[in-house]
Amino acid sequence: MIKKSTFLLVALCSVYSIAQTSQVDLPNVNAVAVTNPNDLAQNSPSVTVVRGPYLQSGTPTTVVVKWRTDIATQSVVNYGKISNSLSEKASNTALTTEHEVTLSGLSPNTKYYFNIGNKSEVLSESDSGDMYVITAPKAGSKQFVRAWILGDAGTANNNQRAVRDAYYDYVDAAPMNSGKTDMMLFLGDNAYGSGTDEQYQNALFDIYDDMLKKSVAWSCLGNHDGKSADSATQSGPYYDIFTFPTAAQAGGTASGTEAYYSFDYANIHFIILDSHHTSREVGGAMYNWTLTDIQNTKQDWIVTLFHHPVYTKGSHDSDTEDRLIEMRQNFMPMMEANGVDLILNGHSHSYERSYFLNGHYGFANTFNPDEISNGGHTVGTTGIGDGKADSDGAYQKTSLATEGAVYITTGSAGKISGGDLNHQAMSVSLNQLGSCVMEVEDDGKGGQNLTVKFIRETDGIEDYFTINKTAMDLKVDGMKKAPKSGRLSYDADKDLVQFNLEGKERLKKVKFYNNIGKLVKKSRKKTINVDKLPKGLYVIEVITNKKTYTDSIAIE
Amino acid sequence: MLVRLHIKKLNGYFIKRIFLFYAFFLSIAQLFAHGDLSIRIAEKTIEISENPNNFKLYFERGLLYQQHLEYSNALEDYRRSQSLGNTDKTLHYQIAEVHYLTEDYNASLKSIGSYLELGSIDVKAKKLEAQILFHLKSYKKSLDAYRYVINNMIDIRPEDVLEYSNIILAENNKNYKGAIAAIESGLDLLGPHTLSLQLKKLDYLKDSGQTKEALEQYNYFILEYNRKEFWYYKKAKYLAEIDKPHKAFISLKLAMVAIEQLDAKFRNMNPVIKLKEQIKSLESSLTTKNYD
Repeated sequence: MIKKSTFLLVALCSVYSIAQTSQVDLPNVNAVAVTNPNDLAQNSPSVTVVRGPYLQSGTPTTVVVKWRTDIATQSVVNYGKISNSLSEKASNTALTTEHEVTLSGLSPNTKYYFNIGNKSEVLSESDSGDMYVITAPKAGSKQFVRAWILGDAGTANNNQRAVRDAYYDYVDAAPMNSGKTDMMLFLGDNAYGSGTDEQYQNALFDIYDDMLKKSVAWSCLGNHDGKSADSATQSGPYYDIFTFPTAAQAGGTASGTEAYYSFDYANIHFIILDSHHTSREVGGAMYNWTLTDIQNTKQDWIVTLFHHPVYTKGSHDSDTEDRLIEMRQNFMPMMEANGVDLILNGHSHSYERSYFLNGHYGFANTFNPDEISNGGHTVGTTGIGDGKADSDGAYQKTSLATEGAVYITTGSAGKISGGDLNHQAMSVSLNQLGSCVMEVEDDGKGGQNLTVKFIRETDGIEDYFTINKTAMDLKVDGMKKAPKSGRLSYDADKDLVQFNLEGKERLKKVKFYNNIGKLVKKSRKKTINVDKLPKGLYVIEVITNKKTYTDSIAIE
Repeated sequence: MLVRLHIKKLNGYFIKRIFLFYAFFLSIAQLFAHGDLSIRIAEKTIEISENPNNFKLYFERGLLYQQHLEYSNALEDYRRSQSLGNTDKTLHYQIAEVHYLTEDYNASLKSIGSYLELGSIDVKAKKLEAQILFHLKSYKKSLDAYRYVINNMIDIRPEDVLEYSNIILAENNKNYKGAIAAIESGLDLLGPHTLSLQLKKLDYLKDSGQTKEALEQYNYFILEYNRKEFWYYKKAKYLAEIDKPHKAFISLKLAMVAIEQLDAKFRNMNPVIKLKEQIKSLESSLTTKNYD
C-alpha cells in the first residue's frame, strides 16, 4: 500500500516540479575538460586547463583572470591590444591548480586579448580572437552597456543550453553592438542541486565557457549555492569560484565581504546583496552598508540584484516566505527612496515583471494600481502601462520625479516550475524558459533608455520595457565656484576674495572654514588673497558691525 | 458480473486513493508554501515511509524542516535519527543549532559541547558556542570562544568582528579600548575602509566620550565619501550634542553647500529633502549669533 501511495504522490510531485528539473545529458566533467581543444595551442601542452579562463571583478584599469589546471603549475597571462601581439605579461610563480592573476594598469574601456599558460607554454588561447577583456568604462561615462541576466540557470540540462543559445543568437544578430556582452549577471542558484564544485563545472563553466572568456561574470548567492557555501566563514565553492570586490576596488563602498558588494560600470551603479545567509535586519551590517553605498553614488542608474524575489507568485510566494518579505519590507523602502531603478531577483522559476512601482511593501492583495499621488503604488502616467515605448509608453524618470522602479523575478534560465503567477504588482507573468538582457543607451534627446528584454529559449522576445531618464546632461561633475550671495566675489585667476559691504556697514572679521569645518584663515580686510588655501570647498563667515552671515566658495 | 463488480470496486478504490493523495499533496503545498522546500520535505517523508528505520533520512528531513523554520519537527527528526543509531557529530551540531534558534540555550550548550568533544574544533562550532554563552551571560567564556574564532577563521567577515567587539563590551562595559582594538584589527584584516567597522568605531568613540577622536572619525567619512551631505549633518548633530553650537552651525552650512552641489535628481530625492528639513530644524535649535 505504501508503495502504491508513494508512486502516486511522486507522480503528482513530478507534475508539479520534477519534470522541469530532470538532468538531461549531463556532461562528464573530466571528459569535457580534455575534449575542448578549440582554444588550446597546437602543440599539446603537458598541463591541461580544466576550467576557464574566466573573468572576474572588472574595473576600468584591472581585471582578474582565473582558471584551473589538472597539474599544479605557475600562472601566466599574456595580454595586449592586438590579438597576435600579446606583449604584456602578468604572472605568479607559485605552483597551483587554482590560478588567479590580476591584470592591472589597463586603460579604461579598452579591449585586451589574452592567453593563459605557465612559464614554459601557452595552455589556452583563441585563434579566432574570442578570448579578451574589454575593461570597464570610467564611472560616470555615458555609453551603450549590455548585461546578460541569468536567474536560477544551473540545471546543466538542455533547457539551460537552449536559453543560452537564444541569447547568443540575439546578441550575434543585434543591429547595434553586435556580439558585445559587457557583463554576465547571475542571480544565484547557478549550479543545482547544492552548488558543489562539480555542479558548477557542469552548469556554469561547461555551459557558458565561450562567454566567460570575454565577459566579466558577477553573481549573488542563491539558496542552492548556499548549501555548499558557508557565508559565515566565506568558504565553499561559491566563494572559491568567484572573486568579488570587498574593498570598493570596482567603485562603491567597501563592504569587507564577498557576500554583498557593489561596483560601477559606465554610469550604472550595481548593488549586489545576499538575501540568503546574511542578516536582512534594518540596522544590520548589510543594511547599513547598503544605505551608505546607495547614498554615496552619483551614478545615473542604480541596479540591484539579490536572489530572493520581492514580488512573486511563481514557485515561491512573496506573501509567505520570510526572506522575501524581509527584503521587501526592510530594504526596498530605503532603496526606492534613494533612487534604485531596477531590481533583479530569481528563486521562482518563472518570469514576472512589475509595473513602474513605488511604495508597495505589503502583500499582493494590497497592491493599488493608482498613481502614487493618488495613494497608489505606480509612478507617472505610464506607470500602470506595459512600459513599451511603442505601446503604452516607456516608464519615465526625471530630475524632479525621481521615484519608480521595475522589479523582475527572472529565475527561468534553467527550468520552469509554474505557480499561480498572478501577483497583482506584475505587469507580465510567464511560466517560460528564458533569460534577460539589459541595455542602456542614449535616447537621442540628452537622456538615456534602460531597456530590458526577456528572451525565450525559442529565440523570441516575449517581453520588454524601457525606463527613460531625461535631462541627464545636467550632471554636475565639478564644484560650483560662484558664491551664493552677491555679498562677496571670487576671482579665481587672481586668487582674490572681495567683500561688498552695504552703506555704512563695516567689516569686523572674516573667517574661512575648510571642508571639514576647520577654521583655516582669519582676516579683517575687504580683499583677501587666498592663494595659500588648498583647493576645495570653504564656508566663509563674515562679521560686520551690523550682522553676521555666511557664504561658500570653491577655491580652484 | 462478479468480476465487473470487483473491477468497479477497484476503480472506486483507486480513484478514492488518488483523490486522497492529491488532497494530501495540495494541503502540504498550502501548509508549507515554501516552494520546492515543501516538496522536498514531502518527498523525504515518502522516503521515510518506505525506510522507517533509516537514520540518515530523518537527519535529512530534519535539515529540511530546519530550513523551513519548523524547529520542533526538525528537533524531533534529529532525535529520531539519534535514537536509530546516528552517531555522526554533525547531528550534535544541528541539535545545538535548533536549540539555539528556539532560545533553549542550556540544551544548546550541552549539544555543542558534545560536538566539540567528538572531534577537531572548528570555527563554526566555536562561534555557535560563543553565541550560546553570550546568551547565557557567560561573557568571559563567550569571549574566549569567540577569540578562537577570530584567530582561526580564514575569511573573516565584518559581522564577526562586530559580534566579537560586542562581546568584549558585554564582558566589561568600560572596555572600549578593547572593543576599538578589535575593530582596528578587523580593519587591518578586511581593509581600512570597511564600512560597518568604521561605523562601529564611530559609535564606540562617541559612547566612550572620546569626542576629539569621534570628530576625527566624522571627518574620515566626510573626506572619504563622494557624497558628504549626510555626514556633515551627522557631525553637526554630534557637535550640538557635545555643546559646540558654532561648529555645528558651520557643519550644517557645509551640509547645505554639499546638497547644492548635487545633481538635481539627488536633490529631489526624499532622503535629501528630509535632510534639508533636519538641517533647518537643527540650525534653528542652535543658540548662535545673529546668523542669516
